[in-house]
Order: sequence, then C-alpha cells, then structure tokens
Amino acid sequence: MSLNPHTERQQAKKFLYGLCIFLAFMLGFPSLANLWFSFNDVTFHNLTGEGFAGFENYRKALGNPKLWEALGYSLRFGLVATIFEVGIALFMVFTLHPLLLRKPWLTAVLMLPIMVSPALMGIMYRLILNEFTGIIPGYLNLLGFHVTLMSRSMIQYTVIAIEVLQWTPFAFIILLTARQSLPYELEEAAAIDGAMGLKYSLRIVLPLISPAIYIVTFIRFIDSFRVFDHIFVLTGGGPGSRTTSISIYIYKLFFQRSELGESVALSFVLLVVSLTLLYFGLKLVVRKEQS
Amino acid sequence: MNKIKSLINSMVVGLFTAITLLSISASANITVLAWPGGPAEEALRKVVDHYNKTSDSKAELLYFSRDNFFDKMLADVAAGSKDFDVMLTATYSLGKYAPFMTPINDMVNDEVLSTFSQGAIDTQTYQGTVYGLPTDLSLHFLYYREDLINELLSNASWQATYAKISSEYLGKEMKPKAAEDWNWDDFVASALFFTRSINPDSPVPYGTVLQMKNLLFNIMIWQGTAASYGGDWRDADGNITIDSDAYRRGLKIYKDLFDAEATPADSLSYEYAEANAAFGSGKVAFYTQWSAAYADFIKPGEYPAIEGNFTITNQPAGDMGPKTHFHSLGLGINANSDKQDEARAFLSFLGTNEAMSMFLKEGGQPPVTDPIMNAHAGDRLDMLMMAEHTAKYGKVMNGGTEGGAFAIYANMAENFTAYWAGDMDVDTAIVNVTKFLEAEFAK
Amino acid sequence: MIVKEKGAAKNSIEAFRWLLFIVIALIINLPIIATILTSFKTTADINSSPPIFFFSPTLSNYIEVLFKGNTNLLKYILNSTIIAGGGSILAIFLSFPAAFAMVRHGIGSSWLLPLVTNIRALPLIIYAIPLYLMFQLVGLLDSWLGMILVTATISIPVALVLFVGFIQDIPIEMDEAGRLDGASQRVILWKLIFPMSRPIVIAVFLLSFITSWNEFLFGLILTTKNATPVTIGATFFVTTYGVKWGATAAAMTLSVLPPVILGLFAYPYIGKSMLSGAVKG
Repeated sequence: MSLNPHTERQQAKKFLYGLCIFLAFMLGFPSLANLWFSFNDVTFHNLTGEGFAGFENYRKALGNPKLWEALGYSLRFGLVATIFEVGIALFMVFTLHPLLLRKPWLTAVLMLPIMVSPALMGIMYRLILNEFTGIIPGYLNLLGFHVTLMSRSMIQYTVIAIEVLQWTPFAFIILLTARQSLPYELEEAAAIDGAMGLKYSLRIVLPLISPAIYIVTFIRFIDSFRVFDHIFVLTGGGPGSRTTSISIYIYKLFFQRSELGESVALSFVLLVVSLTLLYFGLKLVVRKEQS
Repeated sequence: MNKIKSLINSMVVGLFTAITLLSISASANITVLAWPGGPAEEALRKVVDHYNKTSDSKAELLYFSRDNFFDKMLADVAAGSKDFDVMLTATYSLGKYAPFMTPINDMVNDEVLSTFSQGAIDTQTYQGTVYGLPTDLSLHFLYYREDLINELLSNASWQATYAKISSEYLGKEMKPKAAEDWNWDDFVASALFFTRSINPDSPVPYGTVLQMKNLLFNIMIWQGTAASYGGDWRDADGNITIDSDAYRRGLKIYKDLFDAEATPADSLSYEYAEANAAFGSGKVAFYTQWSAAYADFIKPGEYPAIEGNFTITNQPAGDMGPKTHFHSLGLGINANSDKQDEARAFLSFLGTNEAMSMFLKEGGQPPVTDPIMNAHAGDRLDMLMMAEHTAKYGKVMNGGTEGGAFAIYANMAENFTAYWAGDMDVDTAIVNVTKFLEAEFAK
Repeated sequence: MIVKEKGAAKNSIEAFRWLLFIVIALIINLPIIATILTSFKTTADINSSPPIFFFSPTLSNYIEVLFKGNTNLLKYILNSTIIAGGGSILAIFLSFPAAFAMVRHGIGSSWLLPLVTNIRALPLIIYAIPLYLMFQLVGLLDSWLGMILVTATISIPVALVLFVGFIQDIPIEMDEAGRLDGASQRVILWKLIFPMSRPIVIAVFLLSFITSWNEFLFGLILTTKNATPVTIGATFFVTTYGVKWGATAAAMTLSVLPPVILGLFAYPYIGKSMLSGAVKG
C-alpha cells in the first residue's frame, strides 16, 4: 500500500518553500532594491530618495571612464591569473599524481592556502613583502636580487602572483579529483600498448579530463574577475587606481565618494550582464563537456 | 535524528540567550570610536581605563581600520547607527559630520578652558558650533638622524661629494646646513646624498621616505611643501588656486625624489606604519612625518637602530618660510546615540586637567594650556615644539574646514599619487583637482 | 603514472617528485609559515633588518593579543564561530529538503538549480550595497542574525549541488521501504534519507563553515563592532598596532587556525562538489 504519487509530489513541493522564500528575501529583494534605488536620487542624508532621477544614475555610471578602466583591469587580472593557475595545476597533477596516490595525506598540505581568508592572506603578504623587515626581500637580497615588490612597476605582478599562489591549489584539487577518477584499467591498457610517461599523459589523460579543465577555468575566471579582498587590504586599489578591480571600484564609489545612485545603478548593470554571460558561458561549457 | 534536532534546538536557544544577555549587559555603557594607531591610541586606552574605575557607566573603545575609517563612520552615522556614542572629530571633517553630531557649546566651561586653549577649542568649531573636545593636535615635523647630519656638517670629504651631487642634480654646488635651516633644495640634495644608489658611500640606503599611498592623510603631509611656496586652495576672492607655481614645485619635489630613487620604490604603498618602520629600522636618514610618531620612537628599547640618535625640527622652508599643515583630532557625540548623558559625562571627564595631564604623560599630544604643558611635558620635544610651530608655521588651507574638505583631500590623493606613480601628467592632475574644487565649493 | 618505471630511472624520478612537492608546498605556504614564525618573535627581533632566521621564541605576542584586554580578538573569534556555524546550519536545513524534492520529483531542477549555481558566480558587491540599505531599514546591521543570513546565502549553492549529487546516488529502493510502511515524504526525508546522508552533511558543514569564516566583504560593510568577524577584526590589528607585527601575526595565526584545521578534513569534497555541480547543473 503506497501513497498516491500525486500526493507525494505535493508534499515534496513544500520542501522548496523555505529555500525559495529565503532566496527571494536575500537576493531577489536586493535586486529589486538595486533597481529602485538606481532610478532615484539617493544620498546618505536621505536614504529613501529625493526624487525620480530617471536614467541619470546609469548615464553617470556608464559614462565614467574609470569604470571601464576597472572593468578592463578585472578582465586582464582574471585572464592572466586563470591561465597561470590552470597551467600550473595541470603540471602539478601530471607530476605529483603518482606520489599523492601513494601518500594521499600529502595533498592536505597543498590545500592549506585556500583555507585562509584572502584578506588575511593579503595582510600576511604585506608583512613578508616589506622591504625592510620582510623575509622575501630579505632572502632575495642575500642572493643578490634587490627587489621592491610593491613598487609601481611590480605591484601589478605582485597582486596577481598572490592570487595565483593562493588559488592554484583549488584548481589542482579539482583536476586531481578528475584524474583520480579515471579507471585503473586505462593505465594497464596503456602500459600494455607501450604508451608511457609524457605521451600517456598528454594524449590520453589530458583529453579525458578536459571537461574538468573547462570547468575549472570557468570557475577560476569568475572568481578572479570579482577579486576584492587581498587587493583591498594590500593596496586599497592604488597607487592611483592601478589595481582597482571592478568590485573595489564599486565599493569606493559607494563608501568613499558617497555616490549612492551611481554605485547602485552600476551594481544592477553588472548583475544583468553577469547573469547573461553566465547563461551563455555555462551552455558553452556543458556543450564542450558533452562532446 | 531526534538527537540532532534537540541539539540544534538547544543551540538556537543558547544563541538567543547569549544575544539577549550581551545586549542587556551593554546597556549603560558607551562606546567610543577613536583614531587607531600610534601612541595616542595607547594613551587613550589608559585614560579610558582610569575613567572606568571611577565611573558607573563604562566606556569601551572601538577602532576601525585607518584606511577606510571615515568612509565607514559616515556610512554608519548616515544609517542612524547607535553602535558608537562618542565619535572621532577632525578639523577637516567637522562640516561633513556636523549634521550627525550633538553640539557641545554648553560643555565649554571654565574647567575645559583651563585645560584647552580657546584656539584649540576653535579647531573643533564649525560655524560657531563646538562639536568636539580636541584631544590631539597634529602637525608635521622633520625627523632626522642627528649623527648623520652632524657628520655631514663636519666631514670634508662628505661635503665634497655633497657639492658634486647637488651640482649634478640641482645645477648648483651646495654646502650642507643644519636641519632646522633647510629649504627644500637642501632637503632634496641631502636626500640624494644619503641614497646609496646615488652615493655608494652613504651610510644608509635611503635619504628619505615619502608617504605616497593613495590616502588623503598623505596629502596633508605634502601640503606643507606646497604651502611653503605660497600654495593655497583658494585666494581671498574665492578663486581656485591649485594651478600655481607653488603646487607645481611642491609636486615636482616629490616626483623628482621618487624618480631618483631617493625614497624606497614601494613608497607608493606607504603610509604612517611603513614610513615609521623604514626610519625606525635605521635605513632612512630623515623624513617628514606626523608629530604623533615622536612619542613612539622615544620608547626605550623598541627602536634600537635609532635610539638616542634622532631628533625633530620644523619642515624645510619654501619661499614663504617653513609651513606645516595642522589640524586637531577630537571626540564628540553621535546625535543618534541613546546615551547622550553618559556620553557627555565621558567628555566632561576628558575635559578635566587630570584626564589631559594623564593623556599627555602617556604619549598623547593634547593641545593643553601652558600650566599643564609645563608641569607634564617633561622632555617631550614634540609637545614643547607644538605650540610654537603651530603659531609660527601652521597653515590651514582656505576652505580646509568646509564640508567638502574631506572629499577634496581624497580627490587630491587620487590625482597626485597617480602623477607621482607616472600614470598621469601634472597638468591633467592639476586640472582634475581644480575642477573638483570648483564643483565642491559651488555646492 | 602508475606504471612502474624501471630501475635507476625510477629512483631519480621519485626523488624529483618529492623535491617538486616540497618546493611547491613551501612556496605556496610561505606567508602562513612566516606569519606563524613571526608570531613567536620579539619586537626587537622583528624590527631588525635584514630579518633574522634563528631566534628564541616568545609567547608574549599571544599573551598580549589574548589577555591584555585591549583587544577584542576573542570576541571576533566568537562572532566568526557563531556566524559561520549558524550560516552553515541554516544553509543545510534550507537546501537538503530542496535537493530531495529536486532529485526524487524533479521539482525545480530545471530552474532553481541553475539559478542557485549562478549565484555563486556573481560579484558579491552587487548585493552588498542594497543589503546594507535593507538591513539598515530593518535594523539588521551589525547583528549576528544579519550575518548568519548572509553566510547561509553564500553557502547554499555548494550545499545544494552536493546534496543533489549525493541523494541521486541513494537507491530509490530506500524510499520504497519507507513508502511501504505508509510514510509521508516528510518522514522519508528526515527519518530515512537524512540520517543516511551524514557524511555529505558533514562535508557540506565543513566547506560552508570555512567559506563563511573567510567572508570579508559583507563583514566589512555590514558590521561595525558587535558582529565583526575575525577576518575584519584582524585587519584592525595591522593599523592599530602600527609596526607591531608580532601582535598582528599572533592575531592572524589564531584567526586562520579554525578554517585551516577544518580544511584538513574537508578538502576532498571540493573537487567532487565542483565537478558534480557542472555535470548536473
């Protein structure tokens, strides 16, 4: 004697209520609020708006050249960081996989950086990169290299390097998981056929884990694009606006320049654009994965 | 399953109980939002500890990070925050926060006037209303290594090198002078001399360390340079005078020093803490810095590399003599606070001779009246020089106390540090700043 | 390569692997190691330039940071614990039933699941400002509850994806057994499926806890002093103590200890969550 499947379905529908209501409140409502605020003239002295502003906020937001600078910066940052992270992670998977297979706990050591808050990681780097008391310039000086890693010429590389050093393990663990889920029989078959080492890795493993590569590239690019934490604590977006990512730009627009309407309009635009790009991006990734 | 449910139930109950208890216990106490960092912070902690021993309502200190301190404070008061009852005031931000603060003109009684001079109270007054009690007078000094400068003044071969460097970089042969008599050319020449990449025999790697992070406080330091050549925000008629010889010369001095690498290449990310680290580790010959750093450097045992070998004096002179920016930091009352009485009680306490004497002794720099100064300043050079320097060299920019002053400094920081970093040419920077000032003052 | 290399080549390749591992592990963990070491140095040792490598350790920084009473580090750690823990629990109880409905009845799997996974990708700043204004209106600024709502939101995507993946692998026969006894869906969910999902629930809790603990942006904007998490609180130290790197290092070591320790147990699930998410999403 079993229950009517229709009744069961009705019961199960209720399971979604909590989640949907919650997300409507936490995400749906702010999105609408963004929309509403963006069409009004809001200031810190009058948070409910001083009057309809039409598209003025959008015009100001999109007409500001600094916005496009910040967007360009985030794009470049995301691309460079992702390429390095995925490349290094692939290299690590191929070279370290046998070792980690035998001693899996070693993987944990490689995972530590992603457990640290990126903001705190930024402060740690501030400590060790200090020209006078930091250990990195200290060591490098001993070796004869006089480096100033936070100078105007180096700072851009430094912030990217920090991102790469912290998040490569993330790409690594995903690719490693993919690698380790390949059937053992594949290895044996390859060995019998005489395909070993590098050739095996490149011609057999690589294509098989390529779905994971696409996924990880996609995820890391998105995460690097919206970088905020470690750059904020290390440089505040400076010098000038040299390291101002799009997230830092919006933050400063709101908190430092008190441009409420502009920052909210920009947030809404970014929301719509991101969702659109994500929709198409995901389709691309899924299609590639299926092929 | 039931175990988990009941565990979670008890956690939720416990959570709400904790929240309730914490909020109850905090009801009669006040929170003081003060400026972080430096000896003034430690001094204030001691004063607050003393207050708590003698008062029913306890005061608790709260600090934001320096970097976005004023941003957060504004966002919070505008949102009607009751998280702090007593808050930081600054001469250059009175106009901006005035709508959110409680006037305290009635608190300026005889006791307060015997602690602070009227002039000091004025630095916390905006359009006739007093918004805070001044706890710190901030100005800038030239901090320098006496041993190095003395050596330079007496060593003939050093002077020969000095003459060579100055003629190469500044176009004229110069002789070293005592630090208090310096003009900006002497500053530049000496900085070049003490930079090892220019003078391999220099005893230190860098002549000076400039604070060039995109931070509005760094512009306040630099302003002394521009002011010493007669620079100002506006003239008497209200015209914006950023596009002036004075400003260009001042900007160029920093740029030239940076390009010549007489300051560490990381200077573009430096502010208070990093500059102090550089000087305190003995790697820099001299630099301009906030007066607050002095009390930190004289602490025995903390900076072995420079202990006993440094002193302070006025900034170098421009055509108008030496000038320094100055302002006061103070504490005022958040108009949103529910604990106005307790907040006033705390401020009253701060205004007593006893409190400020303690604050002074513990490392703060309050603009106190002469009797207190003479009794407690001891050998604190920064305190002894403070009144005299402010009177002789202090410069407040025309418009520097208006509501938009804060945003103006921030805008200058963004444009001028971009120029120093080589991301913008000086004309563009000056045009941007001028436009911004025009818009601000037109409001 | 599992296939065994021959003889001497095998040993040198092996040694190479070990060397590579050690070099990479050292480089990526350098800031953590340096910070921990610094936290045990005296101020004089830290201020010396060039930095010294051998030193006699001291606990003075930890004592200063924990017990001197000047600092609120313990409170920030408490805040972080409550916010991260509360948010994770909330996310679990919102996502698990939804995942069940999606897998067993296909409700919402076509629109809710992709929507939720998309959330993970958006720059959080987009929501930070309207949430700030909203919270201010309802009085949730600088509160534990407000921050818990935020961390739950951030944790839901990963939770949902992992739950969906796990429940999919539970054979439908398990449900059948319950049905035969006349159990409703609700009973099947909580009395049968949930207990069986203990491993994944723990994994989700660990991952969510770590991510929530490390949240910075919302903590920065939405709190002032009462609910400030330790990621923000630690930044106060840098400027508050000016040049006192020792105290800062001690504070930071304590701040990263919980997520790092938990991470040692949780990391295997990261790979699975990311891969299964894209396949199913």
